[in-house]
Amino acid sequence: MALLGVLGVTSLVGLAAVVFILLFVISAWLGRPLSVFGYNEGPDQPIAFPHTTHAGSVEDGGIGLDCTFCHRNVTEGAAATVPSVGLCMTCHAVVGDGLAEVEKLREYSAEGTAIDWIRVHRVPDHVRFNHEAHISFFSDQDEILPSAVCATCHGDVATMEKVRQVEPLKMGNCVDCHRDNDAPTDCTTCHY
Amino acid sequence: MALTRRQFLTTVGGGTLGAVIAAACGIPEDELFVQSPAEMPEDMVTGLDNWYATLSHGFPTSEGVVVRVMEGRAKKVEGNVDYPINRGRHSARSEAMLQDLYNPDRIKGPMARVGERGDGNWEEIGWSDAISRVVYQLEQVSAARQNREVVLATGPMVSHAGVVVDKFINAYRGTHIGYEPLENTNLRTVMKNLFGQDRLPDFDIENTNYLLSFGADFLNTWISPVRYMRGYGEFRQGDRERGTLVHIDSRFSMTSANADENVFVKPGREGLLALSMIQVIVSSGLGDPVAARDITGGGAVDLEQWAPENVAEATGVSAEKIKHIAEQFATHRPALAIGGGSAGAHTNGLFNLTAIYSLNYLVGAVNAPGGLIFNPAPATDDLADAEANLKVGSAADWREVIRAMTDGDVKVLMTDGSDPMYGLPGALGLREASYNVPFIFSFASQLDDTTAMSDLVLPAHTSLEEWGTDVPAAGPGHQVVGFQQPVVRPFFEGRGEELGTKSMSDTLMAIAGKLGIDLGLDATDIKGVVENAARALFNENRGSVRADDFRAFWAGVLQRGGWWDTDSVANAGTVTTKQLPANAPAPEFAGPAGSEGSFHLVPFSSTSMGEGQGAHLPWLQATPDPLTSATWQTWVEINHKVAKLRDIREGDVVRVVSAFGGDGITAIAYPHPGVPTDVVSIPLGQGHKAGGRYAEGRGGNALSILADRLDDETGALAWAATRVTIEKVGDWKRLPKFENNNPDFARDENQRIIKITPTDS
Amino acid sequence: MADEKWGMVIDVDRCTGCQACVVACQSENNIPINDEGLFNQQRANQWIRIERTWEGEYPDVKARFMPVLCQHCDDAPCEPVCPVYATYHNTEGMNVQIYNRCIGTRFCANNCPYQVRFFNFWEPEWPESLKNQLNPDVTVRSRGIMEKCSFCVQRIRRTGRNAKRDGTVVEDGDRALNPACSNACPTGALTFGNLKDENSAVAKLAEKEMHGENGRGYHLLEEMGTHPSVIYLKKVDPTAEKVTEEAHG
Repeated sequence: MALLGVLGVTSLVGLAAVVFILLFVISAWLGRPLSVFGYNEGPDQPIAFPHTTHAGSVEDGGIGLDCTFCHRNVTEGAAATVPSVGLCMTCHAVVGDGLAEVEKLREYSAEGTAIDWIRVHRVPDHVRFNHEAHISFFSDQDEILPSAVCATCHGDVATMEKVRQVEPLKMGNCVDCHRDNDAPTDCTTCHY
Repeated sequence: MALTRRQFLTTVGGGTLGAVIAAACGIPEDELFVQSPAEMPEDMVTGLDNWYATLSHGFPTSEGVVVRVMEGRAKKVEGNVDYPINRGRHSARSEAMLQDLYNPDRIKGPMARVGERGDGNWEEIGWSDAISRVVYQLEQVSAARQNREVVLATGPMVSHAGVVVDKFINAYRGTHIGYEPLENTNLRTVMKNLFGQDRLPDFDIENTNYLLSFGADFLNTWISPVRYMRGYGEFRQGDRERGTLVHIDSRFSMTSANADENVFVKPGREGLLALSMIQVIVSSGLGDPVAARDITGGGAVDLEQWAPENVAEATGVSAEKIKHIAEQFATHRPALAIGGGSAGAHTNGLFNLTAIYSLNYLVGAVNAPGGLIFNPAPATDDLADAEANLKVGSAADWREVIRAMTDGDVKVLMTDGSDPMYGLPGALGLREASYNVPFIFSFASQLDDTTAMSDLVLPAHTSLEEWGTDVPAAGPGHQVVGFQQPVVRPFFEGRGEELGTKSMSDTLMAIAGKLGIDLGLDATDIKGVVENAARALFNENRGSVRADDFRAFWAGVLQRGGWWDTDSVANAGTVTTKQLPANAPAPEFAGPAGSEGSFHLVPFSSTSMGEGQGAHLPWLQATPDPLTSATWQTWVEINHKVAKLRDIREGDVVRVVSAFGGDGITAIAYPHPGVPTDVVSIPLGQGHKAGGRYAEGRGGNALSILADRLDDETGALAWAATRVTIEKVGDWKRLPKFENNNPDFARDENQRIIKITPTDS
Repeated sequence: MADEKWGMVIDVDRCTGCQACVVACQSENNIPINDEGLFNQQRANQWIRIERTWEGEYPDVKARFMPVLCQHCDDAPCEPVCPVYATYHNTEGMNVQIYNRCIGTRFCANNCPYQVRFFNFWEPEWPESLKNQLNPDVTVRSRGIMEKCSFCVQRIRRTGRNAKRDGTVVEDGDRALNPACSNACPTGALTFGNLKDENSAVAKLAEKEMHGENGRGYHLLEEMGTHPSVIYLKKVDPTAEKVTEEAHG
């Protein structure tokens, strides 16, 4: 109460507001929540899907699937696409008996309901991002597999227990990379 | 702790600011998820589109379209480049099919009436319940199977949906009546009488040189506007000499606006004008000699009575102009005369059209390039039967049906979305008579005036969800069968088997099954019927799609949106010139008593909404009328000088009263310089009693005040034969239109101006 | 740099005023529903519109139709007045509007002699079910944003990208490239294409009608010096009247 008396309600509220706004601005600047609060661990998904198991290399205990095995449209169109439950079930109809998360998947499949994954990477509505263009450019230029390009923006997902956003994916990142690679920087490349 | 007022306000203000910032920068919830569906169909990939060929039905001739589908949703309609009617082009109305599919006011499942008829209270029931109610009602009829106890009113259709309807109604010896709001009965009769044709011809506008059009608003809504407009584009600036279009009308229509010369004629005098032109052509020896001899029956018909000087006063067209147009018409071949719309909608409508189409004999335009091209019979037997059995109801036929209803002879009335209660003149009394019909049910996908008066609604799919076929109302001069396939899953499929919508044909087949009637269709649903139709065409082994096995053929017709055979032209034989009528009957008009200061009412179909079929679609409501740029309301077009004399300004609410339809309708005045002084024009399409948020209770329905005057010979509705008075109500209402009302700016005296003077030539 | 200069030729002699282009555009470009109130406020939004002009009066009356859309001027009056560079000229000859930059000053609309820029005075609203129709390739503009015809840039981008992927070239007159209005037009009055490609239909028409003998080509409000990318071909009127210019006053 004494402190309140010294600072006054107004100042206290003002201070809180300043801190709040600063936090807001800083986190917006970085394009993602501040890690200091433990916010950037990636969201809990309806099924705790381990990319480590599926995409991780065999040495690391994974089975080394190519990214494009599940994200099939990534070399074809704008959206990378998440696989349908049916695609998961091509393996998991027989693989993974007794694993709690696989059982969850089988439940989804049996009921025929869709899985609402929580989106990790998102660009705003006024941005048209095309996966195919980026994948084919880098895989042609560097003569690497399409799936080796993904990490440029998404980080090494194969080692992530939970997928989290590693790059800010702000317009600055896009434009920097476009400039470095002589890609068009006309606004209507992405905005229309 | 006490807060001062200032501290309180600061806190509240800060909090609000924070809330606003947080809310404004938040991400919409639905963007926080990415869904992996349970099963993905093979042809569906997130973010990739597919285009499916199908048909847009009946506006008034169906168009072949391709629909862009993304993730199971229809996004865009474009014309089907292959389809012979529209060849890649499409109308605003086809585009708006998307809003029909996703309309917020669609009927979501079968509904039964609660309370009195027309109260608008419904309860949702299951499909099996709904069908058993229909079956119960029809069983009552089945016992006796009297003629005309079952009446089914649909839009005029020559299709496999029509085949199903036909077979169903025959099982009851009932009446199937095809309903056209502004009917073409007279035109069909003229084709039969003059040329021996059972169906509407194609007009080869693309190749004609001189096009003379009487009242046919073919660049707007008449019969097959997209096809005609495609031809018109080439007629104007195609790889050929530019054609000349002369449009003769009693109002200033969109076609008048595009004509090289537009001529105003007194309403109902189009036929007399055409006779006068025939007189000019025959007497000057410009016409084909054989036709010129036969058209008068070798002199039996006295043409001289119609010499331009004699008819100038009656028609309101000067003798010089008649002579000029007739000479130009006869000397600029290929020439073509077409007529319809208001020219055929008088008590002497048949005569008018007979005289107009007789002009074609004189210039060799009958079944010739650049003229009328006859259409062959439909490609398959069942379609030919459906065409032969289709009775497109004239007003006289409707009067008959309504009388039977009043007498209590009709036990069951069925309709689809064609809405005769909205479209038939109130004076015919369909609404009143319907109270004597024990059971009315409707297949509409959307509430409309007729459906609102029914006891049971069995909602149909919209055309993007449905299987079907179509033979164009006016074909392209050869056989065409359009194929319609569902491009998306039924929108209400998620509501389960018992709710949601079903195809009308499927429902009829299910009802027939329950009643133990064999329709002889050799299929259990409309998809099977359509597949059988494809099989019949496959066996013909001719035309645009040919294949070694049926599966490939089926894929082919669905991909191309139909089947057609450009070699299958009509076998017209030799057309002999028919003799003209011996005298020219004058039109009769029905007006309010003491016709002092009354006007001819010439209603016209709205460019976007037709005769009301598009009123529930917001895109079409918001499409500006080409001539007035008005939207969303009913307006009345009146000559600007007459309006000034009567002190009527734009936006004045006026009451339009005929001797029919009680107090008349109110509309917003729109004076413009193109309206003849003795005519007022009202667009159709508004004034729905029911029809969802976009249509209901908006504007007035000019059809409701029409007189029940019919053509003397054919019984077709003379919808242009009503006279009305106009009086100001006293209100002023802004007409929602796209153009502005800014006054002209004063001209700068020092600026150069452009002066236009007539040329010497 | 770019090999493209997109342009359009509008043959007014073909146009019948049927409004097919208008609705096609609404559907393709997620244009908010123009309800009655918007018309009454003179705030209806149509990237392409049909202008009608009266000539004379009954009985000697004519009406003329002219589709008007953004002219994509090479010297666009809207561009220099934007304080945030939300509208500018790109290398493909298009005047583009960047929604995420726009702050809604409406200076551009005021400076546009063609009145083809539209401001979102209200948040666009659709009933839930009608949202199913919205085109995912086009941003839904929010309140406070200026918008206008984009020559359906989403189609240009998509066809370009797909052609690159498949190793093909975009052909002139590709219906996936053409703007929605041009595909819809029943009379074929709207021809779209690359003016730099001299074999394209639009370039041939432009050459013939702007520079050829008896050419009908003209630009809208030519005297403004805006150098539009849209060329109009005048209506032919055989009831010919000779146009002469003379000084007045």
